[in-house]
Amino acid sequence: MIEISGLAKTFPARGKDAPVDALKDVNLTINDGEFLTILGPSGCGKTTLLRMIAGLIPWDEGEITIDGRPIVGPGPERAMVFQSFALMPWSTILDNVAFGLELRGVSKAKRHARAAELIDLVGLTGFEGRLPGELSGGMQQRVGLARALAVDPQILLMDEPFGALDEQTRRLLQEELLQIWELSRKTVIFITHSMEEAVLLGDRVALMGPRPGRIVDITDVPLPRPRASAVDAIEGSEEFAKITANLWRQLREMQMFRRHAAEGRHSSSEPAA
Amino acid sequence: MNSAQTRRRPMTGGGLSRPRSSSLRTRILGSAWTYRLLVLVVLGGAWEIAARAAKLLLVPTFSGTIGGVIELIGDPKVWGAFFISNQALVIGFALAVVLGITLGLALARFRQIEGFVDPYLNILLVTPMAALIPILLMSLGIGLASRVFLVVVFAIPVIIINSRAGVRQVDPALIEMATSFGADERQVWRKILLPGALPAIMTGVRLGLGRGVTGMVIIELLMVAVGIGGLILNFQGRFEANLLYGLVILIVMEALVLVSAVRAVERRLAPWASQTVLRD
Repeated sequence: MIEISGLAKTFPARGKDAPVDALKDVNLTINDGEFLTILGPSGCGKTTLLRMIAGLIPWDEGEITIDGRPIVGPGPERAMVFQSFALMPWSTILDNVAFGLELRGVSKAKRHARAAELIDLVGLTGFEGRLPGELSGGMQQRVGLARALAVDPQILLMDEPFGALDEQTRRLLQEELLQIWELSRKTVIFITHSMEEAVLLGDRVALMGPRPGRIVDITDVPLPRPRASAVDAIEGSEEFAKITANLWRQLREMQMFRRHAAEGRHSSSEPAA
Repeated sequence: MNSAQTRRRPMTGGGLSRPRSSSLRTRILGSAWTYRLLVLVVLGGAWEIAARAAKLLLVPTFSGTIGGVIELIGDPKVWGAFFISNQALVIGFALAVVLGITLGLALARFRQIEGFVDPYLNILLVTPMAALIPILLMSLGIGLASRVFLVVVFAIPVIIINSRAGVRQVDPALIEMATSFGADERQVWRKILLPGALPAIMTGVRLGLGRGVTGMVIIELLMVAVGIGGLILNFQGRFEANLLYGLVILIVMEALVLVSAVRAVERRLAPWASQTVLRD
């Protein structure tokens, strides 16, 4: 279980810009085996939150614990999938997938065997010897997913993993991720700015708002599982439409509020100018 | 030869013979080398005509220069001169590579130091190194040491700067990725920063080699009349313009061979680099 309590982070003032409250009083509990999606407009601090859970950046206040142990840095029970794929262009697909194991000192034969298994799982058998530059974006992200799964983490942290992909590839990978996850049931925290993606994948959707970055709402997604084989039916269902519409209403309010705030600032500064 | 032919055959599809000649023609017309050769012929012809018309003592004809090159290749004195000069190049360039890469990486690692050193490094990069030669000779004498030192001074700035830039331009997402999988700093350097910086480092080495060759010739020309530089001065003094020009061509040829050797090493060590360039 991951427990986040009272988490806050302020980025210090830079030049003329005022300090930014990246996160303020974030409280969140993620259960074992849960697929939690975090949805929010850009700049709401969702990636910052994920990187804190990954142990990559520090925070100012509050605490994150995994099974009661506070996070102080990256750990073997967590693995991350990156929006930019973050593959090493000089390493073969096999070595990229085996990278996490290599860092942990697993012998070459063992890590290559394990990597081959995962390459098979994500459907890239035959590409082991290729370099990332020779693969399409969708294939590269499959490699990123295989690399994260190779270290057999308890928790998978996914930072807009399909954000850089085109629509078709994205849909295919969503289905594949569901398939893989529904077999292994790891804890997943999945960042996205797509409502449909958040609802289709998640058990719950945490909606984040900007300035200060905070959790505005948590929506349960009572859609049946397994979903991998029924994506079309789910997306056509009334329930799906209802949840998505509800999320959109809140997101739109956020955007409207933001625009009003911007206009308010603008008009108040006019007389002075 | 034989194996090359049998290997090529299936590609041209030996069945039909007619397209063969046309494919040869398109290959010739499509090859950049055809046009490069054409440029050489045009320039060489112009040179020949101009030199014959001008009849200057120090401007040899194109054909005379080619004759000079051939004459020089057959002359053991020339090989001796190249041997002497290249001693300084080999030692100096090796030192420049080792020191330059080490310094460049150190600068990339210790950002605080970098701030202090940066202006001086930039000065070093734009200083006309040849101006240092008299000072150098006063302190190191006219032996091999000065020549080695000058090669180092010529070659090292570009190697330092490229090594440092190479580390700096490694995708920060890769560093974050490695950190997230539990890499410590040593592992980040070995597995991410060094391989990531390798293409830029090799570019620095290649550019440094060109500058090293320049340094090698310049000090011999200006101060220590040995080796190739000594030979140049010799030909100049005897007004043997065709040999003088021929020697310059030989130097260029050596530099080209060395640079392509480095480039081959580069492709061997960093085959993904050219690919990334193509994709951008």
